[in-house]
Amino acid sequence: IYLVAESKSAEPWPENATLYQQLKGEQILLSDNAASLAVQAFLQMCNLPIKVVCRANAEYMSPSGKVPFIHVGNQVISELGPIVQFVKAKGHSLSDGLGEVQKAEMKAYMELVNNMLLTAELYLQWCDEATVGEITHARYGSPYPWPLNHILAYQKQWEVKRKMKAIGWGKKTLDQLNATYVTPVSTFRPTELDALVFGHLYTILTTQLTNDELSEKVKNYSNLLAFCRRIEQHYFEDRGKGRLS
Amino acid sequence: MGTVHARSLEPLPSSGPDFGGLGEEAEFVEVEPETKQEILENKDVVVQHVHFDGLGRTKDDIIICEIGDVFKAKNLIEVMRKSHEAREKLLRLGIFRQVDVLIDTCQGDDALPNGLDVTFEVTELRRLTGSYNTMVGNNEGSMVLGLKLPNLLGRAEKVTFQFSYGTKETSYGLSFFKPRPGNFERNFSVNLYKVTGQFPWSSLRETDRGMSAEYSFPIWKTSHTVKWEGVWRELGCLSRTASFAVRKESGHSLKSSLSHAMVIDSRNSSILPRRGALLKVNQELAGYTGGDVSFIKEDFELQLNKQLIFDSVFSASLWGGMLVPIGDKPSSIADRFYLGGPTSVRGFSMHSIGPQSEGDYLGGEAYWAGGLHLYTPLPFRPGQGGFGELFRTHFFLNAGNLCNLNYGEGPKAHIRKLAECIRWSYGAGIVLRLGNIARLELNYCIPMGVQTGDRICDGVQFGAGIRFL
Repeated sequence: IYLVAESKSAEPWPENATLYQQLKGEQILLSDNAASLAVQAFLQMCNLPIKVVCRANAEYMSPSGKVPFIHVGNQVISELGPIVQFVKAKGHSLSDGLGEVQKAEMKAYMELVNNMLLTAELYLQWCDEATVGEITHARYGSPYPWPLNHILAYQKQWEVKRKMKAIGWGKKTLDQLNATYVTPVSTFRPTELDALVFGHLYTILTTQLTNDELSEKVKNYSNLLAFCRRIEQHYFEDRGKGRLS
Repeated sequence: MGTVHARSLEPLPSSGPDFGGLGEEAEFVEVEPETKQEILENKDVVVQHVHFDGLGRTKDDIIICEIGDVFKAKNLIEVMRKSHEAREKLLRLGIFRQVDVLIDTCQGDDALPNGLDVTFEVTELRRLTGSYNTMVGNNEGSMVLGLKLPNLLGRAEKVTFQFSYGTKETSYGLSFFKPRPGNFERNFSVNLYKVTGQFPWSSLRETDRGMSAEYSFPIWKTSHTVKWEGVWRELGCLSRTASFAVRKESGHSLKSSLSHAMVIDSRNSSILPRRGALLKVNQELAGYTGGDVSFIKEDFELQLNKQLIFDSVFSASLWGGMLVPIGDKPSSIADRFYLGGPTSVRGFSMHSIGPQSEGDYLGGEAYWAGGLHLYTPLPFRPGQGGFGELFRTHFFLNAGNLCNLNYGEGPKAHIRKLAECIRWSYGAGIVLRLGNIARLELNYCIPMGVQTGDRICDGVQFGAGIRFL
């Protein structure tokens, strides 16, 4: 969901463009961190400057209810898909060089990553009782006073569980999740798909969770590890911009 | 007015007041002392018994407290007066639908020659009363269901429940009220509620879920209320085009506050009073009993009324308030004051004065507003004595200011800021009184002192509400 006025797309990318996400240290969860990292990687790949601001109410500020969202000039756009569209309207695109077939493939892979990886992360965070009890619940409610911290965490958990049931994920185990992973091939010129995959894989590898099954499974794929390392080096360390925690 | 029956004690002089015999309705007549009445007045009587007919679930102790004075009456006129007062006290408990008083001579073995029996015939309210309404508002329809359980446990406790189910929002409220037996003005109540509001002037939507406990007590002529309130507030943008300043305030917060309110009201009516004054002072301290919102809030309301010649009334009112955030978190849009509108400074759009961002009004931390009014009967007095009495012509002068205060500059700077760029307006119109609760106004307004950013409503403005500047 995004707001783009035709006349605005002609304006250049401002210096003070800002990306909003939850608090890095104590609050943000695996899935949101992955989504935010994907957008940051994408903007780095496009060479567009972005400042990251952490706010406890970022999820509620977002027009679609999902993080991250960017505030560029007068506009507020949330989620990777609409942000890619918005950036394209301003004349920056990573996938211009691709043919129609490749573009369609890329879109399909992005859908897959969202359906598989993102859903796996959500399942792990909110439906695995051990993780919920030890990490998610406390982190999600951390900026709020008692009893609001518990109320909001339970409310979110109930909402995610309901969505999981609706798409038939209520009973899946991590084994089944991992069996359906597809390894995307990284191209010489990175696309938004690479940004998305990097965001998720890097977060999975670097976040300490109670249940390590997911990160262990990812570590088994050596080319995925190499891919993450390459993106991290090239777009985050080399440029001296944006540190990854 | 109710009916008071009394049987004559001995043959009356022919010019004395008429008392109907038993079984006939009789209007209560104020008895003026006349020389021929002395027979009645000077006759010593003793109230021997007070009976109650029709008590069901009501407990005895609260009744005894209300009618204690009746026993102290020394002559017939006093008995009638004290019985009438007792009847009023019983009605204000809110547990009886009807109270009739019957005064008779004492019968029976222990009857004194001047002994009287007073009987109160009461009809209790039903255990459960319900109401069902439908309301239509701005592009929204809703069903409102109300339930009331008066006199729940026999001591005038009351439970009310209201539920509103609408196309857009749902809200409800549950409240339990208990007065102290014998001292109705000392009472306490507990409330649970969920209320949603939409504020288009700020592009803001607010949902409050909360509970409160309050205790009211009188001190001399003033009425005090001490309250604790805990509210879970959820703020959100009303539309995609909300300004970023309002978007930044979206989310959840928890306010836990203690407040104290004092009211002195000597007016003869709360809507279009003719005389008397009102002073309300309210202070609220949030943050020390939990929650994540911390401030001290103070506001007051003053109104003076004076009747002039030709049935006209002059009224002056003054409102003001201040919000001081404690700690380094800025104040929340849900706690700030707003100014402007048909019930506030007329001639300006609803809550559309003061700090704003991209057309969304953000409210302010300090404000004052004042009004001078002259109410006169309608010209040429149509419908005099009847329907025309509900209307008044109205000439007014309103002024006010609202701003945020940059603390650290000292109180002189604050006062100076509130005195700069005052918004004011004048005009005339018609006021219609609705029962004893609300009023409607239709005014022609001329706003002045308009600052950039304010939204005005010059010309005809319509207002409906309970509390007007």
